[in-house]
Amino acid sequence: MMLEVQNLTKSFGDASVLNGIDLQLEQGHVLVIIGPSGSGKSTLLRCLNVLETPTSGTIAIGAQRIRFEPGSKPKHAEVLLLRRQTGMVFQAYHLFPHMTALQNVMEGQITALRRTKTEAETRALSLLEKVGLTDKADAYPHQLSGGQQQRVGIARAMSIDPKLLLFDEPTSALDPELVREVLKVIRQLAAEGRTMIIVTHEMRFARDVADRIMLIDDGVIVEEGPPEQLFGSPRHERTRQFLSKLSENYN
Amino acid sequence: MSDRTERLLHIFIESFMPLLKAGLLFTVPLTLISFALGLALAIATALVRLSDFRALAELARFYVWIIRGTPLLVQLFIIFYGLPSIGITIDAFPAAVIGFTLSVGAYGSEIIRAAIISIPRGQWEAAYSLGQTRLTTLRRIILPQAARVSVPPLSNSFISLVKDTSLAATVTLTEMFRKGQEITATVYEPLLIYCEVALIYLMLCTVLSALQHRLERYYERYHAK
Repeated sequence: MMLEVQNLTKSFGDASVLNGIDLQLEQGHVLVIIGPSGSGKSTLLRCLNVLETPTSGTIAIGAQRIRFEPGSKPKHAEVLLLRRQTGMVFQAYHLFPHMTALQNVMEGQITALRRTKTEAETRALSLLEKVGLTDKADAYPHQLSGGQQQRVGIARAMSIDPKLLLFDEPTSALDPELVREVLKVIRQLAAEGRTMIIVTHEMRFARDVADRIMLIDDGVIVEEGPPEQLFGSPRHERTRQFLSKLSENYN
Repeated sequence: MSDRTERLLHIFIESFMPLLKAGLLFTVPLTLISFALGLALAIATALVRLSDFRALAELARFYVWIIRGTPLLVQLFIIFYGLPSIGITIDAFPAAVIGFTLSVGAYGSEIIRAAIISIPRGQWEAAYSLGQTRLTTLRRIILPQAARVSVPPLSNSFISLVKDTSLAATVTLTEMFRKGQEITATVYEPLLIYCEVALIYLMLCTVLSALQHRLERYYERYHAK
């Protein structure tokens, strides 16, 4: 297994957001997480690279494993190692505004992976080519459209050669006409056999790209399965409600 | 030209070089040294206050509280005239440097602290997600952006400091203002001489404002208008 999560919980004070999540993901598979807002799906993603510290449970990515226990902080060195197994793509891109697109994609390689500038630049250029932005290498983020910024964000997430890519609603902040160029890049990565977890509201895209779909509500996994099954013949009432509400919104 | 005007013109020209010299020899170095040291102190103080080290953070708060709550003139008097009575005697120039550095450090730390806080949380998260440590994130991602935000308020502090250095006259340092006092005592033309002193301060500050403008332009390169 590329990723193994056991009995993961997260509470903010008295409010519990994740209530015992178990999750496994094989190498090369794409998992799409759907669910109503506030269901805990973003929190789950952020726990996987410890942007939020889980309250309890175990996360293992590749050879790195951390066990979280209430009231104790995980070792910083272990957190850093776990984080370097994952690349995160944020809803609001969060590119570094004082760096060019190229520098954004070089940054993690130089600081976290200690690559030389030349190595980092070569790799960054090939990643920018992959997301179709070779000609924007020297542009600053404010000179790019939202879709272009998010594609740089994807290149940056891949720059540290993560085993697992995490996407936190990667198209939610985009104008509709810019959504496609970003989804195209993600589809291409899926076709290449990247291991990915994607939180999204784009159901058609989810159906196309996912090996498995997982519905989360109130911090628990409601239902999980291949897309045909989850969209075609959902087993749980709550899944049916969620999907019908979505289709109402679209019609 | 009347004799009176001729005499004033003559005094003006005669005193210009000595005043400018006092400015370049004392006012300018005092400003530059105090600001450089003060800025380093300000960054350190801001970082300590934002850190998890409770005791140090409290100490930093205490320092800012004392410096901001008491007049700079009184601080200079304590350092130069007060400390010798407990055996610490400091020459006028270093005493002034200490006073102004402490002042810049305290006010500057609040500017820098505010600038760091103003950088969106997402910038920290993006850096962390790449596997950067807190210190690396601060150095490479947060502080460069905070620097841009700090330029206008720090320039304000810098320009204020140029003028505040005239307080060093009271601790026997013959910087530009005290030089003006000395010249006035010999030529009895206070209006002329003090206006001349004011003019040179204005020239210095104008140059600095121009530099500030250029620095802001430099930072605009990555910032949308």
